[in-house]
Amino acid sequence: MRPRSLLFWAGVATMCAWVLVPIWLIAAGAIGGRQGVFLWPKSMLPPEFTFSALAVFLRIEGVGKALWNSVAAAAMTMAFATLLGTPAGYALARFSFRGQNAYRLLILLTRAFPIAILALPLTVAFINWGLYDTTLGVALVHTALALPFAALVTSSLFVGIPRELEEAAWIFGCTRLQAFVKIVLPLALPGIAATGLFAFVISWNEVFAASVLTVRERTLTAYLLTVLSESPLHFRFAGGLVLILPSVVFIFAVRRYLFAMWGIANR
Amino acid sequence: MRKRLIASAAILLGLGFLPQAQAQETVFMSTQLRPIEEAQKVRDVILKGFAGQAVYVTEQPQQLNVRMRAEAAAGRRTVSVIGALHGELQPLQPMGALDDISDVATKLADRGIPANLMNLGKLGGSTQVYIPWMQATYIMVANRQALPFLPAGADINALTYDQLKEWAKNVRERTGQRRLGFPAGPTGLMPRFFQGYLYPSYTGSAVSAFRSAEAEAMWTNFKDLWQYVQPNSTSYNFMQEPLLADEVWIAFDHVARVLDALRQRPNDFVTFPAPAGPKGRGYMPVVAGLSIAKDAPNRAGAVALIDHLSTARTQLVTAAEVGFFPVVKADLPADLAPGVRLAANAIALTQNARDALVSLLPIGLGDKGGEFNKVYIDTFTRIVLRNEPARAVLDREAENLRAIMNATAAPCWAPDPASTSACPVN
Repeated sequence: MRPRSLLFWAGVATMCAWVLVPIWLIAAGAIGGRQGVFLWPKSMLPPEFTFSALAVFLRIEGVGKALWNSVAAAAMTMAFATLLGTPAGYALARFSFRGQNAYRLLILLTRAFPIAILALPLTVAFINWGLYDTTLGVALVHTALALPFAALVTSSLFVGIPRELEEAAWIFGCTRLQAFVKIVLPLALPGIAATGLFAFVISWNEVFAASVLTVRERTLTAYLLTVLSESPLHFRFAGGLVLILPSVVFIFAVRRYLFAMWGIANR
Repeated sequence: MRKRLIASAAILLGLGFLPQAQAQETVFMSTQLRPIEEAQKVRDVILKGFAGQAVYVTEQPQQLNVRMRAEAAAGRRTVSVIGALHGELQPLQPMGALDDISDVATKLADRGIPANLMNLGKLGGSTQVYIPWMQATYIMVANRQALPFLPAGADINALTYDQLKEWAKNVRERTGQRRLGFPAGPTGLMPRFFQGYLYPSYTGSAVSAFRSAEAEAMWTNFKDLWQYVQPNSTSYNFMQEPLLADEVWIAFDHVARVLDALRQRPNDFVTFPAPAGPKGRGYMPVVAGLSIAKDAPNRAGAVALIDHLSTARTQLVTAAEVGFFPVVKADLPADLAPGVRLAANAIALTQNARDALVSLLPIGLGDKGGEFNKVYIDTFTRIVLRNEPARAVLDREAENLRAIMNATAAPCWAPDPASTSACPVN
């Protein structure tokens, strides 16, 4: 038993280090000051301890607004993608209709066109519809990007829920809608939440559409992260830290739902 | 939970539709001064004295193009002032995105902008399309530790490419490290080195002598030099980082991309002009200009903003803060920060060098500028990095270059001799 548990803990330690050491190095770069990032060999402890890079980063005019835009666009994307994707996924899982396979493929096609090609007509259309330079416009594009994912994942989710449960509900007098809301939805909820989460992340990370379709109402990625690669090294570390911390906290908070989606529920 | 979700979605939706306060704002979109610190300085310092209300937005050059095209097609404008490089403003002109600003040029006639710069702003036509905003060029920076290895008898301010090779060789032999560096990374400005420095210095041309015997000799020479070049060069985009990390001791780059190193450790670095070849000391001035979008939402504000940016005072502040130098008549103050002073000295030495050979940024290529750069970077990759025979590569790439020239019908620009039709690739 003993060598095996040793092996187990060694494995655990390796996995933790795999994730934590890079995050720590980024953090050390962010708080190590201007000169610290250029020291070689790297030490595990930052040479000095300063929040100046982080402070400058957070004080940049418009960061707060961009952060808010990012959150708003991502939340809207999450809501739209879930509300539209779940019924589509349910239809794919429960009904057989003509052209089902073609439909399945068609869903994926929205991701087949590089958005760089669509940028010009999309921008013109958005200006005409009054969606240009609004967070809602960005959210709609992001929804289009997240939707195929949402539909396909929820469909596999519904396939996994036995049809018999629904049929039993019908026998006891439920309508289709009631059976869905009372029986299927509670079972599928963790998976749906995870789907929404991924929509959130897709929107959070998307740069191109967000920067072409906005001027003043930029999301954080469009506002800052595109220029981050051209900024001094310690700023990149500060920006990297600012970017990963919320997502790490977020993922930690919703880890239960993620596990559910990966099929290791009830832990 | 679902109700709450829907409620919050509804609130967010509502926020998206809120009308935005923008009555008297002047949106100033720029492809220059994008990095965070610089953009921040534009907002905090450079635009401080402006009487109106300016919103400074940065944009990647390719996206500027898409946006202006889209706003033109839809007929509704958000951007009033566009600040971009000469070569980035050029493709906007044929699509009718830029206003005629000859009136602004007349208004600013007393600012002392040199006539040749002002003429560049006409983009070859008769009306003013942009007002020169600021200028820069490329310089060399060396760590003081490299100075003892300078070849005997070499004047650092009048180096030749052979002396540079000798120097890098000495550094490698005595320190065991390859410490000459070039910005040959994915977004580095290496193509400009070939177009504005190496080619003109060896062939006196950037286009017409592309596959000449001199060019072949030049590439052979450069390939020989490359064995002393830090191999990480193909991943450097900004030379200030490897300079600060002591990974590179001798570097070539755009002045704005080494300025951070000069600012942080002004006592550790020296600056000097790029080397000269048999035909002279090729160098490329970089000019950024200010344009007004056609049907700008706030033209009066745009004119006022351009006026503000081209006062001598703002131009000096711009030089001190972000390292782009004035286009108007203004003497740099004596109390300039030491790092900026270093950069300014190298630029002055370059411009006033006896053998200086001015190479302009490509003119008339429109949106083919990227393909034009690719020809040079591909030639470099194939000959220097992949060891392909220079003659064959030059012949093949010359065809690509010729195709671009014929497609755009761009006449030659300096230092190539003027041509009436598309610049020939001999």
